[in-house]
Amino acid sequence: MTIDRATIAAYVDRELDDIAARRVERAAETDPQVASAILRYRALTATLAAHYGPVAEEAVPDRLLDLIEGAGPVDTSLAARRKAKRTRFGIPQWGAIAAALLLGLTIGLRPWLPAEPVTVEGGALVAAGPLSQALDTQLASNQPADAPVRIGLSFRDRLGRYCRSFESVAVDGIGCRTKGRWRLERTVPGAATADYRQAGSGSLAAAAADMMVGDALDANAERAARDGGWRR
Amino acid sequence: MRFEDELVGLLPRLRRFARGLARDAGDADDLCQAAIERALKSKRQWSAGTRLDSWMYRITRNLWIDERRAAARRGVQKPVDEAVLQIAGDGASQVEAGALRGDVDGAMARLPAEQREVVMLILVEGYAYREAAEILEVPVGTVTSRLARGREALIHLLGEAA
Repeated sequence: MTIDRATIAAYVDRELDDIAARRVERAAETDPQVASAILRYRALTATLAAHYGPVAEEAVPDRLLDLIEGAGPVDTSLAARRKAKRTRFGIPQWGAIAAALLLGLTIGLRPWLPAEPVTVEGGALVAAGPLSQALDTQLASNQPADAPVRIGLSFRDRLGRYCRSFESVAVDGIGCRTKGRWRLERTVPGAATADYRQAGSGSLAAAAADMMVGDALDANAERAARDGGWRR
Repeated sequence: MRFEDELVGLLPRLRRFARGLARDAGDADDLCQAAIERALKSKRQWSAGTRLDSWMYRITRNLWIDERRAAARRGVQKPVDEAVLQIAGDGASQVEAGALRGDVDGAMARLPAEQREVVMLILVEGYAYREAAEILEVPVGTVTSRLARGREALIHLLGEAA
């Protein structure tokens, strides 16, 4: 095999930088052993996701919530949250993701990512699919005029996280890099609801200015941050 | 965000993590309950602005290890890892490939604790290697080698297509 197992595993786990990832993808095109190892590792991840994913959709037992509620003043949203219908992936969706992963190997397309731009994880909104990819890779200084997601400002917030403002058809907002994901700290309706857009853009710019520590990243700093995987 | 609110927000994920560690759903929620109690008691040790999730995962994982050791001492189960060494890790190859096809719980239960927690943190919870290493307080290289062994053992036990 032209690429060792540890590197293939790191590729599947999204631990490689862009250059190393492309090297694995190129190898997979010509070395069936590499392609098959990628498929096996992805299939395992999908199997585990399909098995354990639904646990996070279950209603949290009252005995656990009561423990926390009994410990301090209760946020009024807590009761609502207990009853709130979970909008995260349900069993059918996890099954669909697993099936899609098992169906075949589509190098470079990251088939395990949902196509929707936003999902909920751990009770927080996070970017997914095309939005997540744009926030990961797209540079404001070098983006196509017709890019479906337009990156605005990139900056660091008070926690030292990298944050990026963006506009898209479905949603505009500010995503901050948290635990390897883009957690959406602000969202307003996107271009599809043009009536709100102007007010939304203004409030986003104000929110970004409020969150920002120092200046927004210039083109060089933005590229360096992207190449560094947006790690703090 | 208030400590309690953030903790509530974490519960769905924490329950999922616990489900992968404990033997069944009841044990997993008992583990979560113990972790919440410990966290509320030690709330002052957590400094706002740092990551509550890493802290909670570490508490949960440490309680799980403590419980396994205590159970082993009581003779409820074989000592940590010894029960599974015969068929997991390097020994997994002695079991017929695909013997546990479709039985994720069964396959996970056969992994040594140190591999199971790494598999859960990285492959299920989606932490980066470095983040998992911080939660477990071990070097990154230790995490990657445990993950590699755990992953190969699971693929073997669950069958080629996992």
